Amino acid sequence: MSTTRIILICSGKGGVGKTTTTANLGIALARRGVNTVVLDADFGLRNLDLLLGLENRIVYTAQEVLAETCRLEQALVKHKQEPNLALLPAGNPRMLEWLTPKDMKAIVALLEESFDYVLIDCPAGIEAGFKNAAAAAREAVVVTTPEVAAVRDADRVIGLLNTQGVSPVQLVLNRVRPKMMSTQDMLSVDDVTDILALPLLGLVFEDEQVIVSTNRGEPLTLGPANSPAAQAYTNIAGRLQGDDIPLMDPAKARQGLRAKMRKLMQTKIF
Amino acid sequence: MELILEVRRVITLYLPDRRLQHWRDALPDLLTSCPAGRLDLHCGDWSLTCTDLRDLQRILEVSGRQIHRLETTVPETVVSAAAIGLEGRLWGDSPPDAARESPSPRSLMVHQGTLRSGDHFQSDGSLLVVGDVNPGARISAAADVMVWGRLRGVAHAGRDGATGAKIVSLHLRPLQLRIASVVARGPEDQPVAGMAEQARLVDGEIVIEPADPQSMART
Repeated sequence: MSTTRIILICSGKGGVGKTTTTANLGIALARRGVNTVVLDADFGLRNLDLLLGLENRIVYTAQEVLAETCRLEQALVKHKQEPNLALLPAGNPRMLEWLTPKDMKAIVALLEESFDYVLIDCPAGIEAGFKNAAAAAREAVVVTTPEVAAVRDADRVIGLLNTQGVSPVQLVLNRVRPKMMSTQDMLSVDDVTDILALPLLGLVFEDEQVIVSTNRGEPLTLGPANSPAAQAYTNIAGRLQGDDIPLMDPAKARQGLRAKMRKLMQTKIF
Repeated sequence: MELILEVRRVITLYLPDRRLQHWRDALPDLLTSCPAGRLDLHCGDWSLTCTDLRDLQRILEVSGRQIHRLETTVPETVVSAAAIGLEGRLWGDSPPDAARESPSPRSLMVHQGTLRSGDHFQSDGSLLVVGDVNPGARISAAADVMVWGRLRGVAHAGRDGATGAKIVSLHLRPLQLRIASVVARGPEDQPVAGMAEQARLVDGEIVIEPADPQSMART
């Protein structure tokens, strides 16, 4: 078995940040010098290419590679700024029925030969799309937000991953609002890990910059790590590679903000 | 002339639990542990179409197996089986074999690990989960349900009507409790930490009280 890490990024519920996580992790890993490919298994509603700003460069998809109408190198889209990162769309949005678990395994087997990391962006839901995407994965990152519905769906997905023998499964808690957590208006980190019982790979704080970067097609991790979310994704990439980076503490993040405010008040106003 | 009757070895192939895995995915693994020959196919609660059954038949035939008889709990599957000339037999709600016999309250089924949302774990006797039962998961047993961990899903004890059945947990905060045919919403306040609790029927109502270790010894 090769040493390539084949990681499924999934959540069950839609809109919790699978694709954003995939794009940012892909860039962050590439910036660390590892050869990374992101595979968009959510090809019916594909937007990983949008987030990476590569939409207009897609010519072929994995479908054509398997049909042998093109070579793998032709279908891979290299990122503009990060040559270590490539994107492979699994298929064309109009051809919904073609992908099977067997196809998925064949694609990943091809990618395995030339990449160190294969990140698979999984579609929402637990039906055929999920099963196809998960077919070739060796490990998984479950993305969830501190909301009851997202946690419930993540729990279901983790159960399915366990029956498929995917291991390790790690957790990314996305869109954390430290302020709401401190006032107990939001599920706390402990509430979530209590139910899901998974190792926490990272916390990502709610960050408006994510929306800006998504619309621009430039993942946050491309720029300097001055936004909290960019820092969080960079840390997650480090932890994936085995670095020992302490988790961000929502309570401290809040103190930090308050301290900054106080400082601002002192210098500028008073 | 001596007549020798061939003794038919009954081979049984069980399709996997519908909630855990699709039978098409599970089949290659199932076949590795199943000898060749004529077999009884237990389809559980899978609703199989003629196409499904033909595919199944083809996969089995390629590996030298024939379907002798088919058993299912779903009427549609019997109809499909009849349509392609297979003998099908319909069971009631419960799975065939062991479950048809009278449930033995002394038998205990143990599950180790967390039961997650969507899982449904059942037993024909008592049931012990060593781990948590998460919200959205269900456990049911003909006799008692015991959870060595947190019970936050739905639990049903005395599924076949045993009103003496109990639900015991280290942390009893289920979404819903059922004992025999009585249904109750779970309590909303937090339980006292470190106190195992039990739910049982008193005068047709479900009550929760500190667990009584002596009563468990009898089950």
